[in-house]
Amino acid sequence: MGFFFVLPALLHIAIFKLYPLLQALRLSFYRYDLLSPPVFTGLANYHALWDNPLFHQSFWVSVKYMFGVSVPEWLLALALALLLNRAMPGRAVIRLAYFFPIAMSQIVVAMVWKFMYHPHGLVNTILEFFGVDRINWLSTETTALPALIAIGIWRGIPLFAIIYLAGLQAIPRDYHEAAMVDGANAFQRFIHITLPLLLPTILFVMVISLLSAVKVFLNPLVMTGGGPNGTTRVLPYFIYETGFTYFRMGEAAAASTVLFVFVFALTLILLRLLRRGGVQ
Amino acid sequence: MNRKRLLVWGGGVLTALTIFGIGVTLLPYFWMLSSSLKTGTEVFELPIHWIPQVPQWDNFRSALSRGSFGTYFYNSGIVAVAVTAANVLLCSLAGYGLAKFRFRFREPSFLVILSTLMLPLEIVLVPTFLVVQQLGMVNSYGGLIVPLAVDAFGVFLMRQFIRDLPDSLIEAARLDGCSELGIFFRIILPNCKPALGALALLSFRDNWDQFLWPYIIASSDRLKTFPLGLAQMEGIDSAAYHEIMALAVLGMIPMAILFLFFQRAFVRGIALSGLKE
Repeated sequence: MGFFFVLPALLHIAIFKLYPLLQALRLSFYRYDLLSPPVFTGLANYHALWDNPLFHQSFWVSVKYMFGVSVPEWLLALALALLLNRAMPGRAVIRLAYFFPIAMSQIVVAMVWKFMYHPHGLVNTILEFFGVDRINWLSTETTALPALIAIGIWRGIPLFAIIYLAGLQAIPRDYHEAAMVDGANAFQRFIHITLPLLLPTILFVMVISLLSAVKVFLNPLVMTGGGPNGTTRVLPYFIYETGFTYFRMGEAAAASTVLFVFVFALTLILLRLLRRGGVQ
Repeated sequence: MNRKRLLVWGGGVLTALTIFGIGVTLLPYFWMLSSSLKTGTEVFELPIHWIPQVPQWDNFRSALSRGSFGTYFYNSGIVAVAVTAANVLLCSLAGYGLAKFRFRFREPSFLVILSTLMLPLEIVLVPTFLVVQQLGMVNSYGGLIVPLAVDAFGVFLMRQFIRDLPDSLIEAARLDGCSELGIFFRIILPNCKPALGALALLSFRDNWDQFLWPYIIASSDRLKTFPLGLAQMEGIDSAAYHEIMALAVLGMIPMAILFLFFQRAFVRGIALSGLKE
């Protein structure tokens, strides 16, 4: 009986997720340009990727972006959650202000930041006030990726702070009170009570933040066009370009397969950590 | 310094940090709003005008004439409402099945659904496009909407919530001769309002914002969504920042209103996803 309730969702996933995944795997062994029928070429697409310096560059751009965004998120979101968990006047309004951005569109964010990173934009104006020279953030090879990473962090912090906050509020108050009676200071309580009990939440945030950073696409597309010189061409962008600009569907499918294996492996490793962290 | 003074100082520092953080969080939105009411030259004028000298309300009208924005907003609305409705129905059906029934393939079904969290569209872009092409849905509302109708996160959220509903509710209805679908619609759904609300809001937000999928599947101007229209307009005239910001403000308004009214449901939806397991 229960199966019939799950069936519509399962069918949808089979058609729009699993079948495409298998198709990607199959297509990665073919040469296909959408116009002429696919031609079986064995491992040629994988060889082509391996020999393509742009693919290697994209892979490392993606890795840098993923960890560049998520590691600061883990720490800063936790810091924000701890700040917001304190009793203070106006807490409801303060939370409202911090959580407002979670409702905002990606495209709106991309447009505002492109405007702010303009050579004459707000970021440079503020930095100039502190004596820093103007930088063309999005067109300079060394600054374009960090500029996108900064947006990712700024956008992710409120979201993950909410998850941490829920975890913090699930910790029974008695634990802290008992430790206070025993004379533990705030720092000791954080290390010996909060951190261990929050561990499942921390690991959950680690997995989710990495998974959401690996699929970034919109910001490189509309803000830098993958440039300058490919320094912001993340893997999803590489896949899109190979498939829909150069119509090398087979090679794009091979790149998808590699990306999926990478994400899958990373998730497995993190889930293992989750288990070891005592999470079921 | 004695302990008490240290505490007061520490509290002051934390409060200052909290306020500084609000500034960093909200400044870009404030700047967007302020710039949307400036003239094209005033947006880059120094020293900065935080408040426009003369609010240029006309920016909104002239920005909207930069494309078929009426159509784009309408399309975003259609996609957001249709996908949200499909998500709410299909995810709660599946969530109920997984939470309250025992059947042979329950665990594998749940694992398969969860594992699609690792299969975002960005990864399976090419083959998903090919599937939709085979189904003849390129450049149609069906093609925009149907592939997004089930979201693994939604199934997970509903399962978590329904699992905590007491079994006695369902058994009582069954004894009263209620059909299985009747139980779902008359007992389960009314008892999941908080989760349904949270799911609907998050789903509406994500789909109001759809960019990548329409970008691939809707080449005709008639089917473009608001994010596509905005990116297109920016691509044509990237110097007209006052008008780009005006459009961004317009695109932000529906979500800002929803957030102000349903802040708690938003936050609860995100928090629910992080609790347990």
